[in-house]
Amino acid sequence: MDIDDILAEVAVDTMPRETRDLQELTRAWVAERIAPEIMAWPGELMERVLARVGRQIELVEDQTGNMDPKTNFRLIVVQTEVERFKFLVRSFLRARLKKIDTHPFHILAKHTESDASHPLLSPAEYQYLTSHQALLAAHYGASFLSQFPNSLQRMDDTTGGISMVDKPDEDAAVFVRVLRDVGEVAIEGTDKRLDMKRGDVWVVRWSAVRGWVGSGDLEVI
Amino acid sequence: MYGEIGNKLVQHAKRTQSLAHLPPYQTELVRAVTREVRDLDKDVATILEPFAGSFNPSTEPATACALLVNHLCMRRDKRCLLAYHRTRTDKLEEMCWSGIDVLERQQQLSQKGGADGAGAQMGTDGAGSSLSPEEEEYVRQYSDLLASYKGQWTDIDLTGSLEPPKDLFIDVRVLKDAGEIQTEYGAITLTKNSQFFVRQGDVERLIQQGYLQRLS
Repeated sequence: MDIDDILAEVAVDTMPRETRDLQELTRAWVAERIAPEIMAWPGELMERVLARVGRQIELVEDQTGNMDPKTNFRLIVVQTEVERFKFLVRSFLRARLKKIDTHPFHILAKHTESDASHPLLSPAEYQYLTSHQALLAAHYGASFLSQFPNSLQRMDDTTGGISMVDKPDEDAAVFVRVLRDVGEVAIEGTDKRLDMKRGDVWVVRWSAVRGWVGSGDLEVI
Repeated sequence: MYGEIGNKLVQHAKRTQSLAHLPPYQTELVRAVTREVRDLDKDVATILEPFAGSFNPSTEPATACALLVNHLCMRRDKRCLLAYHRTRTDKLEEMCWSGIDVLERQQQLSQKGGADGAGAQMGTDGAGSSLSPEEEEYVRQYSDLLASYKGQWTDIDLTGSLEPPKDLFIDVRVLKDAGEIQTEYGAITLTKNSQFFVRQGDVERLIQQGYLQRLS
């Protein structure tokens, strides 16, 4: 352990919960927008953030009658912050929904595989995914698929050389910053090895580093 | 030629992507492709009939090749159909998200089309809705789904602007009379051509619906 690590730990502990939440949310948002795959649903973080937005909106509503310039100014600051939080959450959720709509079957399979304590999707997203796919299937069925021969009616057909289930490009390049020393990373299929040290920025394949992004050792930028 | 009609559908889909509105649903083409698939399937059945389930590709390479072509064509047609419908539903979903009432607009269009058609003494068949009945049903259900998903995020307003907010208050000009709105500083009456300095969150929807214009 060197001095940087000690400093980093101290820095994290002294930061108030709220600031850390904001940082985590921003990080999750950036990762979600850039990573080709959908990330695990940050349930606890979202609960805290939403509770806080709710509290602040209440505060704003309570205080609006107050015409004292000082509180008024404070309210404007609070409102601005609420707007920004709302934007982050909105953009985050929309980014996730977009991925869910693009690769529904792949994500559904991954979600079923994922650990029940850390699900890939939130219950609402899961519900959205299943009902949206049911709607689409009904629509296809009504429009043309029902008149097809039985063997061709499936939506997850893999015969004929092409799988109908679309997958995101897991080898897409991403920029990552190293938050904690990871050590040597080997890129599958090549003989490249990278020594990832705290503070470094790398351009690597998503598939090579996703584990560390998930655990918070790397951040996507 | 096999797959030719499917290709037309794909071209339509490609064109749809860059259009602002949704072109009419190609009922005829979709029907033709579906028919082609069924015919191909029948062909496959007739070819296989004399073999009674004991077909060996290596002894009959010519028949095997015909079967393969038929199979591939069917799959291709299916892909074309799926792609065509998916492009259109994507477009419709996009409209749902941006708050456009697709069905209402369609009704207006078809009424207008009907009136024009009658005036010109022409058949009004072609001027109807550009959605197929199935698509209308889909839009209705998708809006419900979207509403129920959005309902869980009331504080966030999921369909709100995806531009990062810069200012809490913005200047807007009223383009159409929108009546009175309630804000935390009291009620504002939005009459045409007036200008206001209001909180962005209060008027977001009205900007999207085209009642207000944002001034920068």
